[in-house]
Amino acid sequence: MNLIRLALRNIAGSSFRSFMVLLCALLISSMALTTGMILFGADNSLRLAMERLGADIIVVPEGAADRIESALLLGHPTQSWMPASVVDRVAAALDVQAVSPQIYLATLSNASCCTVSDMFLIVFDPRTDFAVTPWLEKTIGGELRLGEVIGGTDVFVPAGEETIKLYGYPVALKAKMEPTGTGLDRSLFLTLDTAQEMARVSKTKAEKPLSIPQNSVSAVMVKVRPGSNPRAVALNISVHIGGVTPILSPDMFQSQRKELAGLRNGVVMALMLTLVFSILLIGLVFSMAANERRRELGVLRALGATRSFVFRVLLYEAGLLALYGGVAGTALTILAVMLFRKLIIASLGIPFLVPALPMLAALILGGLACSLLTVMLAAMLPAYRTSHEDPSIAMRE
Amino acid sequence: MIVLENVTKAYQVDKQNRVVALQEVNLEIPRGAFLVITGRSGSGKTTLLNLAAGLTRPTAGRVLFEDMDWGSLPDHRQSLLRNRKIGFVFQFPSLLPSLTALENVALPRIFDHGRARQGAYERARGLLRSLALGDKLGAYPRQLSAGQQQRLVIARALLNEPEILLADEPTSDLDEQTESEIMELFQRLHASTGITIVLVTHSTQLIRYGTHSIKMADGRILPCPPAEM
Amino acid sequence: MKAIGIIFVLMALAIGVVPQFTNCSAQGRAIELPGGRTIPMKCHWTAMAAPAVAVPLLIVGGLMFFSRRRETLLALSLLGAVLGVFAILLPTCLIGVCASDEMLCNIEMKPTMIFGGAVTLGAGLVGLVLIGKTRSRRFTEAAGSD
Repeated sequence: MNLIRLALRNIAGSSFRSFMVLLCALLISSMALTTGMILFGADNSLRLAMERLGADIIVVPEGAADRIESALLLGHPTQSWMPASVVDRVAAALDVQAVSPQIYLATLSNASCCTVSDMFLIVFDPRTDFAVTPWLEKTIGGELRLGEVIGGTDVFVPAGEETIKLYGYPVALKAKMEPTGTGLDRSLFLTLDTAQEMARVSKTKAEKPLSIPQNSVSAVMVKVRPGSNPRAVALNISVHIGGVTPILSPDMFQSQRKELAGLRNGVVMALMLTLVFSILLIGLVFSMAANERRRELGVLRALGATRSFVFRVLLYEAGLLALYGGVAGTALTILAVMLFRKLIIASLGIPFLVPALPMLAALILGGLACSLLTVMLAAMLPAYRTSHEDPSIAMRE
Repeated sequence: MIVLENVTKAYQVDKQNRVVALQEVNLEIPRGAFLVITGRSGSGKTTLLNLAAGLTRPTAGRVLFEDMDWGSLPDHRQSLLRNRKIGFVFQFPSLLPSLTALENVALPRIFDHGRARQGAYERARGLLRSLALGDKLGAYPRQLSAGQQQRLVIARALLNEPEILLADEPTSDLDEQTESEIMELFQRLHASTGITIVLVTHSTQLIRYGTHSIKMADGRILPCPPAEM
Repeated sequence: MKAIGIIFVLMALAIGVVPQFTNCSAQGRAIELPGGRTIPMKCHWTAMAAPAVAVPLLIVGGLMFFSRRRETLLALSLLGAVLGVFAILLPTCLIGVCASDEMLCNIEMKPTMIFGGAVTLGAGLVGLVLIGKTRSRRFTEAAGSD
């Protein structure tokens, strides 16, 4: 028998009180971890999406910025057009190193039950593209051939089939990209040739033919010269080319970033309130427990326990409960967040990807620390008062 | 062994009310005595016992334990003295409900960092066997009768081979037969080991078990007839 | 053990009720065969099978609330854990749900059953450990003096 085993026995002996403190610790660690996972996960997602797009500036038709951002972020397909001549004009702008046009299309909605409906199709020009092509080189060691596509991580070929049918045209899923947690995970990337072939075939094979406007593009991806100021380049483009909106990478997904900031404030506020109420509740529970156990603790003092020993026993009890609750809360949270990730995205309207392992580990430790600190802090005053009480008074009824 | 010099103890019940539990008490408890303290409820018996064990400080006067003033000792030293030299038998149920009989008896040893803990369980087993509780080592207090629990408390009090045993109304919750069994146990202990025993009780019947007795009332020790002390 | 009983009951309700409203048939979706006939999807059958796990789990949870015997509690914990495993297997290996990630059965039904099953399994295992640690009642509670 030692101090820790005594603390463990004491916890087991007062199951209701212990359960209440454990529950508080569980809620605290759960809430702290959920907050961290969602906020850092959303940041992670946006960052990966930006990397996937690969451009310093995306030039889109005026007024279409929000729709296109929403399409890229949440996978809600959209179509918007600007004249193809914009591509050359942007290429000629000051400090522009490379440009590549993209066309955005959507599949038919309510497609067969087990494929992804409302899929966002991103058509790129392999001759000028600088985002997807390097990835293709690295992954499949070459280019996409006619009829081949690459998909986001959630795209799949229906069971029992070898191709995905888009507008009646079968395409082969050549590779899948790493997850970003955004709508890009449910998007297909295909070359201009494949898209045009698809449009041609759709006239006879699809329920509704695919129409790609001639000499039109949906967006122009822009890479600026190294060392130049992207903001200045964007300003230059918006001043000299009418009817377009250049979106800087860092400014991309502004509305989602604002939502995220709003969510962050709200969630952090909720976390703070939870911590405060938990400290009060746990403090109350511990005070009640200490009060009920005054006589028992007085007996320990009579048997030779020092004030410090009694104080440490009570703190150990608090710490063990915090640890158990914290670990349970952490396990439940990770399980829930991973399982319900898509529901979280749909409910909050922001993209979200579980943070990478090092960040996740840090968040877990943070959640556990939160739980431990809260419970210990709450228990400290009752523990001190009880341990320093006159034993003879403590033992009186 | 224990000396109370002009000791007064008052408790502040609330802002207006003050209860004087002991008034100018002078008492010397010699080593090897079996002192029985009698008196009605509220006479100050328990307070005297608590002062003797250093569990509370006197409002006035001083309490010496083996010539050491309790009040001058720091907390860790007081705790060590209580642990090694004093055994306590309480009036109320004082066993930890979440520990087994064996663990309860061995409990005092975990407070003493200077002594080996391994021997505690051996000694506890021995004590329990000697008190006819050898088959109850793994039982929890709620599974034992009142008499068994009290014997358990006595075993715990004896774990560290104390020099003095302080017993506060140890038989108040017991029936007559069990009471006499416990009192005979104290007597045997005193006779065989020479341990000093201070036993507090409201029952004057128990005076015959001791070598000395005093009577208390209203926080004072009543003058005793020449034959008693 | 009452806490574990409560967890079993809550998870049973989640496992049994949520699939009834989040499978594709409940959303009016079905597989259309060439002849025009429709047949339910896999998630429909998973939802039908869910009460087969949920109802026994509900009973087990209720019994845990009132049982005191160590052996009974051990058996109930084990049974709960096994039912938890089945709740996980139903939407994953045994029957399954729709393949598409955006279907409601994938977003809500499957995670709920897996989560409920995992929590049930965990609670059952914790129950086994905690009850296993308690000594069996070799001593009858004595009343009065010895």
